[in-house]
Amino acid sequence: MSIELNTNDGHVTITNDVISTIAGGAAVECYGIVGMASKSQIRDGIAEILRKENFSKGVVVRQANDKLHIDMYIIVSYGTKISEVAHNVQSQVKYILSQSLGLSIDSVNIYIQGVRVAKD
Amino acid sequence: MTIQKLDGITFAQMVLSGAHHLSNNAQKIDALNVFPVPDGDTGTNMNLSITSGASEVKKQDSNSISIVADAFAKGLLMGARGNSGVILSQIFRGFSKGLEKKETVTAEDLAVAFESGVTAAYKAVMKPVEGTILTVAKDAASAATEHSGLNNIVELMEKVVEEAKASLKRTPELLPVLKEVGVVDSGGQGLVTIYEGFLAFLKGEKLPENNADIDMEDMVNAEHHKITQDFMDTSEIEFGYCTEFMVKFEEEKTSENPFNEEAFRNELSEHGDSLLVVSDDEIVKVHIHAEYPGACLSLGQQYGSLINMKIENMREQHTAIVGKNKKEKPKEKSEYAIVTVAMGKGLKELLESLGATVVIEGGQTMNPSTKDITDAIKQANAKNVLILPNNKNIIMAADQAAELADEEVRVVPTKTIPQGISAMLAFHPDADLDMNKETMNEARQHVKTGQVTYAVRDTQIDGITIENGHFMGILDGKITSTNQNHFETVKLLLQEMITEEDEILTILQGEDVKDEELNTLIEFVEETYEDIEIEVHKGNQPIYSYILSVE
Repeated sequence: MSIELNTNDGHVTITNDVISTIAGGAAVECYGIVGMASKSQIRDGIAEILRKENFSKGVVVRQANDKLHIDMYIIVSYGTKISEVAHNVQSQVKYILSQSLGLSIDSVNIYIQGVRVAKD
Repeated sequence: MTIQKLDGITFAQMVLSGAHHLSNNAQKIDALNVFPVPDGDTGTNMNLSITSGASEVKKQDSNSISIVADAFAKGLLMGARGNSGVILSQIFRGFSKGLEKKETVTAEDLAVAFESGVTAAYKAVMKPVEGTILTVAKDAASAATEHSGLNNIVELMEKVVEEAKASLKRTPELLPVLKEVGVVDSGGQGLVTIYEGFLAFLKGEKLPENNADIDMEDMVNAEHHKITQDFMDTSEIEFGYCTEFMVKFEEEKTSENPFNEEAFRNELSEHGDSLLVVSDDEIVKVHIHAEYPGACLSLGQQYGSLINMKIENMREQHTAIVGKNKKEKPKEKSEYAIVTVAMGKGLKELLESLGATVVIEGGQTMNPSTKDITDAIKQANAKNVLILPNNKNIIMAADQAAELADEEVRVVPTKTIPQGISAMLAFHPDADLDMNKETMNEARQHVKTGQVTYAVRDTQIDGITIENGHFMGILDGKITSTNQNHFETVKLLLQEMITEEDEILTILQGEDVKDEELNTLIEFVEETYEDIEIEVHKGNQPIYSYILSVE
């Protein structure tokens, strides 16, 4: 449930929770995302937008054979090019994680759980 | 000059001029790109986006500004590339909405459209980051509103460009990474460039190629920032000298050997990387990381005299930064390992993902022997080992193995997989062995475990009559329900298990449970227990259709 980094001075443990919080934080700063959706809330097709403290609920960190995979459940803004927004999220999340934790992520999978139409 | 009314045809020309100007400066804008990801593609992305917008504009010849702006917004949306492209498409989507189907617009209307573009752009993001293209668009729109009373579109556009440039200069104050690197925001620079193109058409000026006044210093800073991302080790530096110089053109040299920026850039690119070349009529500025700076200087001297040279040894600098950190050798024995037992590939993977070092396949029908566990302890290769048997019939063998082992071994007497999982989540690599045993043992006792399996003979247990082949629901070792199919059984079992205080239900799906059935079960739980959070893992375990845990 965590990642170990060994340095000269001892070792560093990074829990998956930390990874998902950072990934969630990076994602919500991405342009075109209006919310994170809970991964288990797909009732009647209405995804619930998570409140701030629950960002990490829309992020699942999986580890398999020393590889890291991240699944993100997001809600995008209507009228944006969704494929491009998703791609931007992928590269931003990868970059932020490699910068802040020195982790290379094998894949960032994006699940678009909803589109929100802004009220004019 | 004065323009009071702006029509579709004029606006279309403004768009084309903006797109053209951006395309001329895309390379420089690329060079500035450090945020959000320093991959040097902002200019390229914005250029692709606006080119798609411009080609939609070219397809129609309406004189209505709202129709032209709609086409532009549509093309931008379809061709949006990268963050900056998506933002640009939103700005102009709002802009075209703000024109409200008008044929022609006044300065006042145009200011409203700029504001409407900013509103739309800000709506499409949860946490707008200031110091980016968004900020530049916002400040420029404010300037438009402020001067909308001028009743002159040319003047209004002048104010917009002026404020956009000023806002761009302020971006490093708002976004720390820009300040750190010493650049202005690349997306903001892109927008300024587009607006400059708009204005140039209105004023009837022809913009020289490559004239966006992007500071060479900024480009060099961004380049160095990108480079620092790349090298982990001094020995990886291929081109060791950061070389910067300027050449002041001299008539007698250039008359024989005319200067061509593109050709000069290509020539230099053979000598190194991180290459930047900027030139005007009098001077060419060069930045390159090269192994042989002299060769680059000589190339420059073909066109004139060298001024302002600076050469730095990057290997020396890098060694100083990195210090003497040598990579560690692989370690002999790790500090801690967790050895546990599970059946089914899915459960094995699940436990490994939670941090189990070795998962012994077994449990329930094929219990691992003491020797199996001893071997696993050896395989784990750690000074301290914790064993989680996950089955009450294995605890004894685990205790024996612990005594036989040379390592420090403790057994946490977990009786079920869910208990094992809870115990693992309570593991703290920085606590000592006995402390870990205690907290993990504590954690396992908070879990309620439910299991659904089938009976192999007719029997009566716990006052319940069970027929051979029927399923039974077991709550913490006690049979509570029975039914001829596992779906009904699991529902009965859940009703026994879940109480008011419980927050989370974890379902481990057995190999005989189909996904449809599982989905029906999840729906049932969501409808019956609104507050509970559900986690599902494919355990693919044999014998037990469902293993459930409730905390």
